[in-house]
Amino acid sequence: MIDIKLVINKKTYTLNIDPRERLIDVLRTRIGLMGTKEGCGEGECGACTVIIDGKTVNSCLILAAQADGCDITTIEGVGNRRSPHPVQKAFVEVGAVQCGFCTPGMVLSAKNLLDKIAHPSDQEIGIAMSGNLCRCTGYDKILRAVKRVAEEGEV
Amino acid sequence: MNTGVVGSRVVREDAWGKVFGQTKFPADVNLPDQLYGVVIRSPHPHARVKNIFSEQAMALAGVVTVLTAKDVPNNSHGVLFRDQPVLAEYIRMVGDPVAVVGAETLEIARAAAKLVEVDYEVLPAVFDPEEAMTTEVLPLHPELRPTNVLYHMPIRRGSMEEGWAKADVVVEQEYSTQHVDHAFLQPEAVLAHVDERGHMVVQTATQYAHYDRGEIAHALGLRFSQVQVKTMAVGGAFGGREDISLQILAALMAWTTLRPIKMENTREESFYSHSKRHPMKMHYKTGATKDGKLVAMEAKIIGDAGAYASWSINVLRKSAVHATGPYEIPNVFIDSYAVFTNNPFSGAMRGFGAAQTVLAYESQMDLLAEALGISPLEIRVRNMFKVGSTTATGQVLTGSIPLDQCLTKIAPYLQKGDDSQLLQLKLDIGESTPHEAEQGTSTVKSGNFSNRMKKRGLGLGCAWYGTGYGNGFPDVSSAFVEIHDDGSATVLTGAVDVGQGSNSIYAQIVAEELGLQSEDICVYSGDTDSTPDSGTTAATRQTYNTGNAVLKAVRQAKVRLLDYAAHKFSCPTAEGIELKEGYIGVKGDPTRSMPLAEMVFQARLHGERFISAESSTARSTPVDPETGQGAPYWPYAFGCQMAEVEVDTETGLVRVLKVVAVHDVGKALNPTQVEGQIAGGVAQGIGYALFEELELHEGKIKNPAFSSYLIPTALDVPKIEAFFVEDPECTGPFGAKGLGEPAMLPTIAAVINAINDAVGVRITSLPATPEKILSALELFLKKGGAGDKVGI
Repeated sequence: MIDIKLVINKKTYTLNIDPRERLIDVLRTRIGLMGTKEGCGEGECGACTVIIDGKTVNSCLILAAQADGCDITTIEGVGNRRSPHPVQKAFVEVGAVQCGFCTPGMVLSAKNLLDKIAHPSDQEIGIAMSGNLCRCTGYDKILRAVKRVAEEGEV
Repeated sequence: MNTGVVGSRVVREDAWGKVFGQTKFPADVNLPDQLYGVVIRSPHPHARVKNIFSEQAMALAGVVTVLTAKDVPNNSHGVLFRDQPVLAEYIRMVGDPVAVVGAETLEIARAAAKLVEVDYEVLPAVFDPEEAMTTEVLPLHPELRPTNVLYHMPIRRGSMEEGWAKADVVVEQEYSTQHVDHAFLQPEAVLAHVDERGHMVVQTATQYAHYDRGEIAHALGLRFSQVQVKTMAVGGAFGGREDISLQILAALMAWTTLRPIKMENTREESFYSHSKRHPMKMHYKTGATKDGKLVAMEAKIIGDAGAYASWSINVLRKSAVHATGPYEIPNVFIDSYAVFTNNPFSGAMRGFGAAQTVLAYESQMDLLAEALGISPLEIRVRNMFKVGSTTATGQVLTGSIPLDQCLTKIAPYLQKGDDSQLLQLKLDIGESTPHEAEQGTSTVKSGNFSNRMKKRGLGLGCAWYGTGYGNGFPDVSSAFVEIHDDGSATVLTGAVDVGQGSNSIYAQIVAEELGLQSEDICVYSGDTDSTPDSGTTAATRQTYNTGNAVLKAVRQAKVRLLDYAAHKFSCPTAEGIELKEGYIGVKGDPTRSMPLAEMVFQARLHGERFISAESSTARSTPVDPETGQGAPYWPYAFGCQMAEVEVDTETGLVRVLKVVAVHDVGKALNPTQVEGQIAGGVAQGIGYALFEELELHEGKIKNPAFSSYLIPTALDVPKIEAFFVEDPECTGPFGAKGLGEPAMLPTIAAVINAINDAVGVRITSLPATPEKILSALELFLKKGGAGDKVGI
């Protein structure tokens, strides 16, 4: 067992964990942040996307120990009903949400893109979202939602 | 019909919880003291379990139980026949569950699963349906059928002799399709526990909670009233959550250990624990007169049912009924078969047997058009179903049959840049607006390539789809409605929202009837303890069927409310009362009106409540088993799509550049959701046409992972223009029909026909992989290019 420190959604957690534990398991099982989903366990579907120090990461592919000292944002750290993030608002209003299993990862990928590039091109949006699989929406409204935020600017 | 809430782009209530990550899928719930269950599955496609040695596993600290077939009170389940074991002693496919381990942690359960030794007697297996059909191969289900032919459906109409005599052109071709996985993003998961009432409570994601309840009760020997199946958020389904996966195993373990049981599939386990889309071989022969009228069609369709019956009978029936495409053909001879093999079992998947045949009938239409020298659009217009048409099963189509309107809308998009033939063509389907024509002009010009190696083409695909269970099976949905004292209302229905948004459609229907807003309506669904059985979320039936039940229920409550109000306002009849914007009152008299809340509350003080329960049943007639004649489905939904593709002749890679989709929806109750269904269908159609394929070796899945089983990403799906045609279906709620399944059908044909248009090769076996395209191109060039079309 090892001690690690994670800053998750601006809150600091000091944890004593098995060094083999994946970040997704620590988030879901130890911290109870169930918004991070596991769809494939091999970094293909992006449902477990979190933002670590400004980069989107598949939390099923890294060990929690590798994130020691890092700043992590999960979906629970992005917006709420009183003040939704513009990406969340756009997803809801455009109709980019169907079953919702991919949605947290999608929102985080979109947020991270827009944090870095305020007005991304269609191609930049497509590439940024291509690591997140969705089986319901055909991506059409997801891409439109991200584009809407990109056009409206100010995230 | 003028509507306010119905037909508007109401925002789905559940979308908020989903964007905040608050929505609970079954893997997201836990109970104190829960055990973790892990399934041990057969590595053999056909075998008998001789012995299971679990001593070593049980000796591992933290292991609580290992259950095998002998622990299951009634060891069977299944949607049509209970032919599938809960825990198998006789193995019919790789992945059949033989034992399940329960342990204090998931890690221990997984370690213990590896220690359970199963001694198999391996039996010879059969993987080719045509081989399995022969009488030499022993039947896999002798208790059901004397051979491996589970089902044969013939359709006989007219005279083939006459038909072929009239045919000036005949095209004959063999087509085949592959095993496909639903690949819903959320792997199966269950939390089962025995609650304080002593009831078996199972929280899971399913398409039909009431079916799951029945199968759990049967297997465990319990009454329905002792089993609660509560549907959590469902992370996609597409037919893959109709059969039982982990539900009974978790319930069984909870019942025997009296501990809560958590089970979660990995992606690999998920590939082995639900059905697949039927691979089919389809031999087609179609004839037309020189003026482009279809006169005869013969088809033989063989579907691989795999190891268990699941829905195979219904699927291959649907294949047969839809085999002609949406076209009038007076002389038809079809044989459709479902055959048992030792492959993974096939079952329901979006399109349900009508997806495979689209490849065949729409390829045949393009081949005929080419032979006749007319456009793909023209041959379809000359033969399409209209009101009054008769189908191959002898069903006369009445009411909403707007394929002509769909084709009118898509026609401008089929126009190539320098090709005005289509616009000059005087179609009897009406004129297209210049605006649409302008929008629709594609980047494809005849012989125009974006560069020498990359060639572009356009393809058209049409499809039809009979919704509902069909073939005489009563299609029943039910709903309860209660109007509350504050003027809001609650709807309870068993119909599970699998992510498509049915709950929000029901809210719109009730809001519309009561003069309220969607937000005023609470819809709760898919819990067997509190909602009435409303059938499966399948067969494109929930908007139509449960929509009708909800509408009937709210109207029943409303009738009593209006009567009460008429009495209260001294209005002579209830017809004089209206519900509008939260108020109830006498039409045209603002002085006799009050808030709905006040009326309902006053009514309560007089002992009057507005609560209703209703069912709606859609009826169809069974087809004749000898001739296939009958009226198996209603209503039918139609659609057509245009795909523009670019084929790289060096690599064989196909990129879909654009899809225009036009679908008949009767009435779009929520246009945003209609567009969502269309785009989702198009993406699945692209995956099916171009790259999705389960690779099997002796029944074993070689690619049970998203790194090797590829589904479309955001970069594979083009810009989709979705249009809908609203030709009200008189039996549907506000004129609506379903759309879920039809949305993916035309895409398959549009993409394949576009590849042919681009490079002159016809792919007849899905998926159209780069390898297949390159080898077809090679053959094509060997034969001197243009002229000789090559199939592969």
